[in-house]
Amino acid sequence: MGLAGVDMVIVPATTGQMGVLPGHVATIAELKPGVLSVHEGNETTKYFVSSGFVFIHANSFADIIAVEAVPLDQIDANLVQKGLVEFTQKLSSATTDLEKAEAQIGIDVHSALNSALTG
Amino acid sequence: MAMAALRREGRRFAPLISPRPITAVRSSPIAPSHEDECPIGVRYISTQVVRNRMKSVKNIQKITKAMKMVAASKLRAVQTKAENSRGLWQPFTALLGDLPSVDVKKSVVVTISSDKGLCGGINSTSVKISKGIHKLNSGPEKETQYVILGEKAKAQLIRDSKKDIELIITELQKNPLNYTQVSVLADEILKNVEFDALRIVFNKFHSVVSFVPTVSTVLSPEIVEREAESGGKLGDLDNYEVEGGETKGEILQNLAEFQFSCVMFNAVLENACSEQGARMSAMDSSSRNAGDMLDRLTLTYNRTRQASITTELIEIISGASALEG
Repeated sequence: MGLAGVDMVIVPATTGQMGVLPGHVATIAELKPGVLSVHEGNETTKYFVSSGFVFIHANSFADIIAVEAVPLDQIDANLVQKGLVEFTQKLSSATTDLEKAEAQIGIDVHSALNSALTG
Repeated sequence: MAMAALRREGRRFAPLISPRPITAVRSSPIAPSHEDECPIGVRYISTQVVRNRMKSVKNIQKITKAMKMVAASKLRAVQTKAENSRGLWQPFTALLGDLPSVDVKKSVVVTISSDKGLCGGINSTSVKISKGIHKLNSGPEKETQYVILGEKAKAQLIRDSKKDIELIITELQKNPLNYTQVSVLADEILKNVEFDALRIVFNKFHSVVSFVPTVSTVLSPEIVEREAESGGKLGDLDNYEVEGGETKGEILQNLAEFQFSCVMFNAVLENACSEQGARMSAMDSSSRNAGDMLDRLTLTYNRTRQASITTELIEIISGASALEG
C-alpha cells in the first residue's frame, strides 16, 4: 500500500524466509503465513502476513501483495494460543479432507503467529 | 375584500373540515374550488388542485435532497476504501499487463452493477459494454458467458441473453464490503465457470462527477503461458524465477486466482463509489427540477388566485352599478 525505499526485506516464502536486497534476481514467490520484516538503516518494522505473493522485478522494485498484514505489536498472544488449541482440536475431530485441510491451515497460521511473537 | 377572501378560504376548506355556517349562507356563483369550470363561463384552474400539486412537489424535493445527502455520506465512507484498494491490483498489472485484446476461445464477462436504482445511467452503460464485448467475442469457436452481480444488470441482461448467463449474484451490499466476502465470491465464480479470460466490467470512480466504464482482463494460467511464449509484455515473465511449488504452473494458477480476487475487490468497491456518486448527481438534478416546477406552479397559483379575486370584484362592482341604475 505504500512506496518506500528500504535496504532489505525478509519475506516468508513457501520455501522459507527469503531475504531481498537491491539487485535481486527477478522472482515470483508465493508467501506462507509468517513474519515480514522491513529493514531500513538501523530500524526494522515487522508485520505478520497471512499469505500472498511477492514479485521482485529486475529493476530492484519488489511488490508485496498480502491478503492481510498486521504489525506485530497489534497481535494478542492469548488469542493466538487459544486459536492454536482450537484448530488442533478441529484437526483431530475432522472427518472430511476439506475439514482436515481447513484445520491444518488454521494450525499453520496460528503456529506461525506464535513463533512470530516469540521469535 | 377580506371577507370575500375569508369566505373563499372557508369554501376551499369545506371538503376537509365540517362546513362552516358562513359558507352555507353563500351560494356560489363562483364555482367551488374543485371544479374546473365556473357556471358563469369564467374559466380558471382551481387553486386547490394547484396547491395539492405544489405540496407534493415540495415533498419530492425534500426527499431527493435527503437522498443526495445520504449518498454523499455513503460515498465518503466507501471512497477511502476504494482508493486504498487500488494498490492491490497494480503490482499484478505491472507484472502481467492488462491485455483486453487477447484472443481467447472462452471468455466470461463479469458485469458489476448496483442493486438499487435511482443512480443515473451507470448500470445501462455497464450493460451496454458487456453486450459489446459479447458481440466482439462471438464467432466460430468463440463463446462468451455472463456472470452478473447486482439486480439492475440482471433485469437488463435476462431479457435477451438468458441462455448465456452462468451465475447471478445479488444483494452484495447488504453488509459492508470487505475482502473476505469478495474472495468467497471469486472462489464461487472460479469453481463453477471455466474460462480462458475473465473480463470484469465496472464503473471506475475518477471523481464525484465522472465515472468511466472500464474493463479489466484476467487471464487463466494457460493463456498466460501462451502469451508469454509469443512474446510481448508477458514475454518477460519467463525471466522471473518462480520459487516454491513443484511446477511453475501451480504457482501461476494461484497467482491467477489471487489476481482475480484482488481485481474483483477493487472493481466492486469502485462500482459502489460510482453508484453513490451517480445517485448524488441524479438526486441533485432531481431536486433542482422540483424547485423549478415549484416556481412555475407558484406563478400559476398566484395568477389563478388574482384572477378569481378580480372576477369577484367585477361582479360586485357590476352588481352595485346595476343597482344604482
